[in-house]
Amino acid sequence: MRTLTVGEQLPEWSLPMTPTTIVSTAIATRDWQDVHHDRDVAQASGSKDIFLNILTSNGLVERYVVDWLGHDAELKGIAIRLGAPAHPYDTLTFRGTVESVEDGVATISVVGSVSLGDHVAGTVRVVA
Amino acid sequence: MSARTSVGHDEIMAEAERIKALGEASESQAPYPVNQPTIGTWLDAMGYDNERFRSGEAPPSMAQVWTMPGLGRKRPPEDPLSRMTEFLTAAGYTAVLGTNCEQSYERYLRVGEELRVTSALDSVVGPKRTAMGEGYFVTSRNTWYVDHPDGRSEAVATMLFRVLKFVPRETP
Repeated sequence: MRTLTVGEQLPEWSLPMTPTTIVSTAIATRDWQDVHHDRDVAQASGSKDIFLNILTSNGLVERYVVDWLGHDAELKGIAIRLGAPAHPYDTLTFRGTVESVEDGVATISVVGSVSLGDHVAGTVRVVA
Repeated sequence: MSARTSVGHDEIMAEAERIKALGEASESQAPYPVNQPTIGTWLDAMGYDNERFRSGEAPPSMAQVWTMPGLGRKRPPEDPLSRMTEFLTAAGYTAVLGTNCEQSYERYLRVGEELRVTSALDSVVGPKRTAMGEGYFVTSRNTWYVDHPDGRSEAVATMLFRVLKFVPRETP
């Protein structure tokens, strides 16, 4: 794993949202809620379209941080606040900053934003 | 507020205390053990590749994946979060929105392990005025366990999950 410096920023990472992204990740996380794969149902319940599920938001936060840290990184936790939905044809862009390194644990703040605002905002704790 | 019934704040908080006192009131077994095909499918969908997850370990944020009920299966009826949200629905707080998810990992899981998850009601806070409408924040606590042959139950991950149950604003 890389050596962490407080204040260091992670490189930005943008992920295009397609129907395939949203449906494949919902099914791969074993989440069969229809609003994640059926546009008619999603629209009938007031959404613009299908939207990314929470388990995938967590998975993408994990991937974003670990791809940067190095694959031997040991995650201790992911805490996220959920915001704007991520719909097809939008772009989800992650940014991150090393906030602290204390008592053997580093805290990295992460924000994933879409055109409607922040989709997720939170912190990842990792053994440092 | 026309959707509101006669159920008031005191009754909501009394129900919250009753359900909280039940502790880890429901549990369910993962339908399948931690397994490589499911991990591989998850990595493919995430567009993620990491050698350690092709060789026996599972990505930590997959903890919740293992105990998702699956298509056509339901969570146990005694699930404390379901009970509390159903009570709030009946009280007129019909809409729901996930607001926070906080996972902690004790260790990474390994292929072949069988998981069990328990669910408890952690807190109910409200009523609060939010941008979505007036509502209650309901927080549940899930704990994932691996049961060992010697009878020891090892907590491997926890999650605090918060939803807002709210009265939707009237739309014209």
